[in-house]
Amino acid sequence: MVQYVLRRLGTSVVVILGVSLITFLLLHGMSGSPGRAILGVQASAEAVAAFDREHGYDRSLVIQYFDYLGGLLHGDLGHSYKLNQSVNALLAENAGRTAMLSAVALILAICAAVPLGVFQAVKRNSIGDNVLTALTFVAYSMPVFLLAMLLIQVFAMGLGVLPAQAAQSSSDFVIFTEPRAMLLPVLTLSGITVAMYSRYQRSAALDQLAQDYIRVARAKGLSMRMVLTRHLLRNACIPLVTLIGMSIPLLLTGNLVVESVFNYPGLGLLFFNSLNNQDYPVLLGYTLVAATLTVLGNLVADVLVAATDPRTRRA
Amino acid sequence: MKPDAHPTADDGPVLTIEGLSTGIRLRKADVAAVSGVDLHLRRGETLGLVGESGCGKSMTGLSVMGLLPPGGGITAGSIKLAGRELVGLPDKHYQRIRGNEIAMIFQDPMTSLNPTKTIGEQVAEPVRLHRGASPKQARDRALDMLALVGIARPAERLGQYPHELSGGLRQRVMIAMALSCEPKVLIADEPTTALDVTVQAQVLRLLHDLKDRLGMAMLLITHDMGVIAQWADRVSVMYAGGIVESARTGELFTGMRHPYAQALLACTPRLTQRRDRTLFSIPGSPPDLAHPPAGCRFAARCAHATDRCRSEAPPLTEDRPGHTLACWNPVDGPLGPVAAEAQTAPETPAEPAEPVLAIDDLAKEYATGRSLLRGAKRSVKAVSGVSFSVEPGRTFGLVGESGCGKSTLARMIVALEKPSSGGVTALGGELGELRGRGLRRHRRNLQMMFQDPFDALDPRMRIGAILREPFAAQGIGTAAEQLAAVRDLLDEVGLPHTVLERYPHEFSGGQRQRIALARALALNPRVIVADEPVSALDVSIRSQVLNLMRRLQAKHGLTYVVISHDLTVVRYLADTVGVMYLGKLVEIGSPDDIYLRAAHPYTAGLIAAIPEPDPDAEPPGDRDGMDTEMPSPFDPPSGCRFRTRCPRAQARCAEEEPVLRDFDPGHSAACHFPLREPQPAAAQVG
Repeated sequence: MVQYVLRRLGTSVVVILGVSLITFLLLHGMSGSPGRAILGVQASAEAVAAFDREHGYDRSLVIQYFDYLGGLLHGDLGHSYKLNQSVNALLAENAGRTAMLSAVALILAICAAVPLGVFQAVKRNSIGDNVLTALTFVAYSMPVFLLAMLLIQVFAMGLGVLPAQAAQSSSDFVIFTEPRAMLLPVLTLSGITVAMYSRYQRSAALDQLAQDYIRVARAKGLSMRMVLTRHLLRNACIPLVTLIGMSIPLLLTGNLVVESVFNYPGLGLLFFNSLNNQDYPVLLGYTLVAATLTVLGNLVADVLVAATDPRTRRA
Repeated sequence: MKPDAHPTADDGPVLTIEGLSTGIRLRKADVAAVSGVDLHLRRGETLGLVGESGCGKSMTGLSVMGLLPPGGGITAGSIKLAGRELVGLPDKHYQRIRGNEIAMIFQDPMTSLNPTKTIGEQVAEPVRLHRGASPKQARDRALDMLALVGIARPAERLGQYPHELSGGLRQRVMIAMALSCEPKVLIADEPTTALDVTVQAQVLRLLHDLKDRLGMAMLLITHDMGVIAQWADRVSVMYAGGIVESARTGELFTGMRHPYAQALLACTPRLTQRRDRTLFSIPGSPPDLAHPPAGCRFAARCAHATDRCRSEAPPLTEDRPGHTLACWNPVDGPLGPVAAEAQTAPETPAEPAEPVLAIDDLAKEYATGRSLLRGAKRSVKAVSGVSFSVEPGRTFGLVGESGCGKSTLARMIVALEKPSSGGVTALGGELGELRGRGLRRHRRNLQMMFQDPFDALDPRMRIGAILREPFAAQGIGTAAEQLAAVRDLLDEVGLPHTVLERYPHEFSGGQRQRIALARALALNPRVIVADEPVSALDVSIRSQVLNLMRRLQAKHGLTYVVISHDLTVVRYLADTVGVMYLGKLVEIGSPDDIYLRAAHPYTAGLIAAIPEPDPDAEPPGDRDGMDTEMPSPFDPPSGCRFRTRCPRAQARCAEEEPVLRDFDPGHSAACHFPLREPQPAAAQVG
């Protein structure tokens, strides 16, 4: 197992290096010089050239990339000239709040999707199943921002029971200290994942329900509820574990939209603002962190599957 | 055997089923799966319920368990367990009976155990549930049960997961689980159908012994007349949802009265089947139970049917004491020697012809990559050093248990798989040297028929498209010519031209296998490799397909390689038989050499394990000593691979690998201590 994880980590490093190269080239190749982006359109050509020279942006891309890589090896993600702060500090400052928002939304989504999916599978083709299927499809096909807007329209503008903006506290635990203000962002973020997870959970549970061991468990004298909790649940969750590991990019993009719509100070909002400001070092740093999380998420999912499914332990 | 295992005179039946009717509501129609079934079971007794797939025998079992599939429900009748009515019992009360007073074991042990729970947890679960045992008590009980069902090192097994056990062991675990609360009634639904024949004998013997020891009543549901003959005390024959005949086993087999029972027995393949006769088969297929016919449901396929049979359903009446029957025109006893016309045997060439297919020292190894934990490279030797040749117009039969490498061999013969070493020469061309277009052209002459007619046809293609595809792939003929050829093919396999526009799911298994055969025949091949061509089919349909294969062989001079785990099928079709064990050919010879004069102990054991459809025959499993299962092909035993299961094995077998030695002309076996004396070495040089 240890060997397997080490090998996977090795390939992960290669993947992340590739991501860093591609985003680096894209960001540097797409627009004019970084100096122009930072100093603005009004700055003189001399000032831009002087800025580029001073910060090494006049060197060849290859040298710049290796320079960047060298920084990475020392744990330095670069410097944001716009915000005049190191990227590390910026990311660290916002990461906690985003992680908390994502984790709460994810846990909520799993807690809702697993029972929903199993319920739909057991009551297959019933009215309840069909209604839930319709609802999940609507939620699944809806863009995140639209869901956010709709929730704001109904609960903030219409009913006026919840604030339209997220809590602005800098505390990482704002979700727990000001739950009312965080309800809409969390609901939006779980809304999109719950739809996908419950579809997967439903089909996984259907697959398992058709297995002979379910009938055997009934024949032993277990009630349907016991069969579901003791036998079906664990087997039906195996595909979901993989899915959760793979849905980190979905969560990150979800964060991006949710944080900007609700003005929640986190990584997503930081990225959104940096995008508007053409703040390349921040964009680059965020992309790299996101890629690392995605790769690690997949790895963790595979390890978790091995823990849930004894058949994959010895191949 | 305990003295109380036998029913005493005042013992009433443990289980009484009267007038049971079960329906299944599907989206389009209501299916009358079971109609008016009467059964009763006494303590210590085995009642065999026999019939073909879809006849309602499993539904009867599930009705007793109260575990009908969604949409299923009992529409009439009563089920009494020791006098207590079960029909209509609320689920809460039923749960206390299931697994406690009535237990059930199912067909497929590979899927019947929860893959993520340990054996110990699963076996202990009923005891925890029904007896309120503590985890410790339940564990001890599980340990006792595993020992009772003959599992070696039970303590070690408790912590293992199902995927670590072989099929036979898993079925033993299933039995241990079912019997852990000592139920009054055990329903065994095809308990050995998914197992190899040698393992089948062990499991059935175990069930029989446990039934006696625990004083249970057993309902043995099976399609196999051989299993019934050997293990059932009484038999009920089911057809299309109803019981057509019930009697004591001996009486039924010698004095059956219902034409269906008679036909079912006549279809059952036997080792004594004469090869020059066509097999007995029942024409047509069972009725659609969504729209059951008026009158006797067997009338449409019955040779004795009259107008009365077609209009009025015969009631189940007592014909003689203990022998009930539902028929207007009963027959008397089994069919004599089959009256079917003799078939023209393919003419034997005067002198041995050039072989159309020659397999030379063929081997296939699969690298399985590094194991996750140990990091060592492993490989499976699926086939090692197999050689044989087949002459034109002849049939080579290959038998062996699952996992012996016979399917891998088949795939190499038709060039779907590349050998690791050795070669296949077909029609004078070495397959390994052919590439691209040359190989494609060669493929015309090598066709394959697969086991599962449900998987072998693309579900989204119409039959017409499926049958035309070979022509299109080889670029033969215009569309009109292809269509004409396809119509001829349908005539050959006895299907109407109207099937062209239909999809595979609209056909029964037998019809699909006919379509698969038509597709294999499309390009006029010289060789057809048939991998388990009839093992997914019911006996009555099986003989139709086997007869068809024989007829087409004679007509087109086809060469067959027939692969089967079923020794009776190979016995009927083959001119030469090869026996495979763990990737090696251990014996080869004519059918008579193999079936009457076997030299290898494995061959003899395989043959002895087949249950004969004759209640007077000695039950299998006593004579062969093969009470274990095939070892893993990952690390086969040293020397002779069969030695771990061989009753004759000695020290030499572990050290030295036996080579094939001649016993008769064309008959050789690889064994150090054969059952017969080989020909002297001098004679073998020539």
